Amino acid sequence: MARTRVTRPASRRVSPRISRRISRRAAADVCLLVVAAAFCLPLAWVVLSSVDPRADLTVKAPDGLTLGNFEAILTADVTFRPLLNSLLLCGGGTALAVVCAVLAAYPLSRFQSRLNRPFLLTILFATGLPITAVMVPVYALFVQVDLIDTPQGTVLFFAASQLPFAIWLMKNFMDGVPKELEEAAWTDGASTWQSLLRIVLPLMGPGVAVVTVFSFVTMWGNFFVPFMLLLTPDRMPASVSINEFFGNRGMVAYGQLAAFSVVYSTPVILLYVLIARRLGGGFALGGAVKG
Amino acid sequence: MTRRTLARALPLTPAVVLLLLFLAGPIAYCAYIAFTDLQLTGQAESSFVGLENFRTAFGDEGFRNAVWLTLVFTVVSSLVGQNTLGLALASLMQRASKPVRTLTGGIVITAWVLPEVVAGFLLYAFFRREGTLNAVLDALHLPRQNWLFTLPILAVSFANVWRGTAFSMLVYSAALQEIPREVTEAAQVDGAGGWRRLWHITLPMIRRSIGTNLMLNTLQTLSVFGLIWVMTRGGPGDRSQTLPLFMYEQAFQNSMIGYGTAVALLLLLVGALFSVLYLRLLRTEV
Amino acid sequence: MRPTAATLLPVLLAATALTACGGGSGGDPDTVKVSFKQSTDNSIHVMDDHLADIKRQFEKSHPGKKVELVPIKAPDSEYYTKVQQMLRSPKTAPDLVYEDTFLVNSDITSGYLRPLDAYLAKWPNWDQFIDTAKAAARGEDGKTYGVPDGTDARGLWYDKGVFAKAGIPTPWQPKTWDDILDAARTIKAEVPGVTPLNVYTGKPAGEAATMQGFQMLLYGTGDGTADPLYDAASKKWVTGGDGFEDALRFVHTVYDEKLGPDVATALDPNIQTIVRGDLLPEGKLGIALDGSWLPQDWLPGSGHEWPEWSQKLGLAYMPTQHGQAPGKVSMSGGWTWAIPAKAGNPDLAFEFIKTMQTKANATKWYVANSGIAVRKDVADDPSYADAQPGIEFFTGLVPFTHYRPAYPAYPKVSTAIQEAMEGVTTGDLSVEEAAAGYDETLREVTDDHVVQR
Repeated sequence: MARTRVTRPASRRVSPRISRRISRRAAADVCLLVVAAAFCLPLAWVVLSSVDPRADLTVKAPDGLTLGNFEAILTADVTFRPLLNSLLLCGGGTALAVVCAVLAAYPLSRFQSRLNRPFLLTILFATGLPITAVMVPVYALFVQVDLIDTPQGTVLFFAASQLPFAIWLMKNFMDGVPKELEEAAWTDGASTWQSLLRIVLPLMGPGVAVVTVFSFVTMWGNFFVPFMLLLTPDRMPASVSINEFFGNRGMVAYGQLAAFSVVYSTPVILLYVLIARRLGGGFALGGAVKG
Repeated sequence: MTRRTLARALPLTPAVVLLLLFLAGPIAYCAYIAFTDLQLTGQAESSFVGLENFRTAFGDEGFRNAVWLTLVFTVVSSLVGQNTLGLALASLMQRASKPVRTLTGGIVITAWVLPEVVAGFLLYAFFRREGTLNAVLDALHLPRQNWLFTLPILAVSFANVWRGTAFSMLVYSAALQEIPREVTEAAQVDGAGGWRRLWHITLPMIRRSIGTNLMLNTLQTLSVFGLIWVMTRGGPGDRSQTLPLFMYEQAFQNSMIGYGTAVALLLLLVGALFSVLYLRLLRTEV
Repeated sequence: MRPTAATLLPVLLAATALTACGGGSGGDPDTVKVSFKQSTDNSIHVMDDHLADIKRQFEKSHPGKKVELVPIKAPDSEYYTKVQQMLRSPKTAPDLVYEDTFLVNSDITSGYLRPLDAYLAKWPNWDQFIDTAKAAARGEDGKTYGVPDGTDARGLWYDKGVFAKAGIPTPWQPKTWDDILDAARTIKAEVPGVTPLNVYTGKPAGEAATMQGFQMLLYGTGDGTADPLYDAASKKWVTGGDGFEDALRFVHTVYDEKLGPDVATALDPNIQTIVRGDLLPEGKLGIALDGSWLPQDWLPGSGHEWPEWSQKLGLAYMPTQHGQAPGKVSMSGGWTWAIPAKAGNPDLAFEFIKTMQTKANATKWYVANSGIAVRKDVADDPSYADAQPGIEFFTGLVPFTHYRPAYPAYPKVSTAIQEAMEGVTTGDLSVEEAAAGYDETLREVTDDHVVQR
C-alpha cells in the first residue's frame, strides 16, 4: 500500500502509467464512497435509535442520549445466553458444513462424473423450498429419532441445510485452482488428502472464507429452524430472543430492538473483519493493488 | 464400480449422508403433502387430493399475481441489482485504496448481516413517507414519493438490493482475485480499454462465478420473506405479495399446509427455470 | 456405490409417518409440563413471574410433584404453528398449553385437545366464570376444552384535549354511529393537523382490522340476538347482508371523508404502533376505536412511557348502529388453559389449573396483567377494580361482549373481511361490490357452507 502512495514531489518525473493509476484509484475511491454513503443512510436509523430514549420509526436526532436501551437488553436472558447459544449452534453448523463441503467439492471438482451435476442441481433447487414448509416434516422426523430439543440435532440440520449452497460455491472456487499444481505434487508421491490440504486449500482461502461467512450469516439470522427444533428456552439462540421486542399486540419497542440489533450484528461483523485480516489485506482483495 | 472410483467418491460420504438424512427425506415428504389437503389445524383427517391444489393455484388470481410480482422482484433486485452492483463494487475495490475498500466493504457487509426483521424495519423507516429517502429527495429538489404505497414492489426490490449485494460482492471479489495479474496487464499493454477488457477478458474468465452467483442469488431472492413481510405485509392490497408471502398466507394464516406446499413446489419450478436459463446462457460446464 | 435416495427414502418416510400415530403418556408421571406464550412485553415478564409463583405453591401443596415451565417466545402465528406441531406427538405434547381463543376451536376440530367437562363438573370455582367466557372454549360438540384466564374488550378512546379544542363537551358518549361521525367531522373542521378517528382497516392491520374495526361495527347492527357472521344452528357462515354493508359503509365514510388517517397510513403494516406509540401520546388523534390493553403500552420500560394517559384520554363504549338495544357493543378475545389430547398427566394438569384459578391467585394474575376478569368473584374484588384506570369501565362491558365465531374457517373469513374493508378504504370497490366479493370468497373458503339471512 504505502509503496504506491509514495510519489515523487517533482510530478513531471512521475511516469504517466503511475499517475494514471493514481487518478484511477481516486476515481474508484470516490465511487465507492458514494455507494458507501448510500448504504449508510438506512443504517443510520439503527444507530440513532439505539441511543434514543423515545425511538420511533423516523430517522431523527435522538431526544437526548441514553444507554437505557442497552441496559435493558444486556441481561443474561435476553442477550448473553442466547448469543452464546447462537455461537455454539451456528459455529458448529458452519464448521460441519464447511468441512463436508470441502471434502465433497474435491471429487466433484477433480473427477468428472455424469452424476455430479444432476445430483447437485436437484438438491440446490430443493433448498429453495421455503424453510417454513419443510419444518413440518423435519419436526416429525426429529421427534422420531430423538433429536428434538438437542443442540446437536439443530447443528446437524443447520449444516445439512447449508450444504447444497456450500458445496456448489466451494466446487466453483476449487475449479479456479489450476490442476497442474496438484499433478506436480502427485508425481512427487503426495496422496489425495495431502494435495487437498497442502496445495488446493491454501490457494482458495478467499473462497473458503466466502463459504464460511455465508453459511454463518445465514444460520445466525435464522429464526424458524432453532425455534421449531428446540424446546428448552435456555437453549434458544439470539434469533429467537429478538422477539422480546415485539409486544403482544403488535407494539414494537424500537429503541431496544435497535440496541439489540447492534449487539446481535457485532459478532458477525467481527467474524468478517477477522477473516479479512487472516487472509491479508481486506477479504479476498489482497494483492489487488501491487504497485 | 472400481475400487478407484470408490476411493475417489469417499470424501463425498459425510455430505451425502447429511443431505439424505436431513434434507432429502423432509423434502420428499413436502412433495407428498402438496398432493393432500392437509391442514395444521381445523381438520380431523387429511386425504390425498391428487392435482387439486395445483389446479386451484392456476385458477387463483392471487397466485398469478404473486408469480408476476415474484418475477419482477427477482429480475429487478437479483439479476439486475445485486449482481451488477456487486460486480461493480468488486472491481472498483480492486483499484481503490485500502481504507476506502475496508470501509465500503464493512458497510455493505453490515447491511447483509443485520437480522432480517431489523433490516426490514430500517428499510421501512427509510422508504416511508416521513422517511430518510424523501428527506434526501427534498434536499435535492426532486419530487417525493410515498414509495411503500405507490411503488411497493420497487421499494422492496431496492431493499433487497441493499441487503443482498454483499454476497455478490464477496463472490466477485474472490473470483477477480483469481485472474492472474499478467493477463490484465498484458491486455493493458496491448492498449485494450476498460470496457473492452471487462467484456473480452474479465467476464469470460469469471464466467463460472457469474453463473454460480446468479443462480444462488436468484434462489435466495425467490425465497425472501421476512423483509417484505415487515415492510409491506405484501400490501397495499396484494401489490407486493410475492410467492413466499402468498404461500405463507395460505399455509399458515389460513392453515392450508397442503395448498401452501403446492405453491412452494411451484416456486421451486420458477427457481429451476431461472437457473437452467443462466447455465445455458453462460455455457458453464459444472 | 453410495446409498441412493431411493433406498433411504422409504425408511425416512415411514419414520416420519409413524410420529403422527401413537398415543399415551410420555415423560415423568410426577411432572407437569406447562407450555405458554412468553409475554413479549419487554422487560416486564408478568406471566413468567406469575407462573413461577404458582409453580412454587403447587409444588408445596403437592409434595413429590414437579412443574416444568416451557415458555415459547414468538409472534402469535409462529406460536400457533409450534404448539400445533408439539401437540401432534405424545413425546413433545405438554400437559398444559396456553391456547388463544382465536384458534382453540380449530385445534379442537383437529383432535389436539381433551374435553374438560368431567373435571369442571367437580370444580366449584367454575361457577364463578361468566357464561360468555365459558363459551369461549366450547367446541361445536358442546364440550368445553379450556379454562379462560381473562379477556379483553374494545371501545372508544378519545383525546380530551382535542375534544376541548373542537368544542365537544366531555365526558363524551355517542349513542349512535352518526354521533361518532359527527364528532369526527367537527374535529376535522375545528382542529387541523389532527386525525379525527381511527378505525383499523385492511389486510396490513390483520386481525385488528377485523375485530377492533369491522366486528365492532357489525355486531352493533340488527337486533343483536343472532351472531351476524355465523349461524350456530345450521353451522353455516352468514353472507353479507344489510348489516354487513352498513358496517362497510361506515368504514367507507371514514376514509372517503378523510376522517381517518390518510389511506397510505391506514394500510401501513405498523399502523398499530403508529396509533399507540405516536398519534395518541402526541395528541394527534381524536378518537380511537381500540382495545382495552392500550395502557400496557404506556407503562414504564415499554419504550413509549406515557404516565399521563389517564388524564388525557377518556373512554366511551361503542354504541350500536342506531342506539337500538342493548345499546353497547364490545368484542372479546383472550386466552385459555387447555389440556392436550396427548398429554401424559392430564389429571395433574387440571390440578395445576385449579391452583392457578384459586380466587387469590386469579386476582393476583388479573391485577398484574391488567386483564379483564371473566370471573364474578374477581370482578367484585376492590383490589382488581382499582388496579388501573379503565379496568372498571371495560369490566362493565363484559356482559355485552361478543366472542368471535372462531371455527376452523374463521382465519380465512377474517382475511376476506379485511379484503372487503381494504377495497372500500382505498375506494377501489363500492360497498356493494366489496360485499359481493366477500360473499364469493366466503363460499370458496368455507366449501359453500353458507347461509343467507
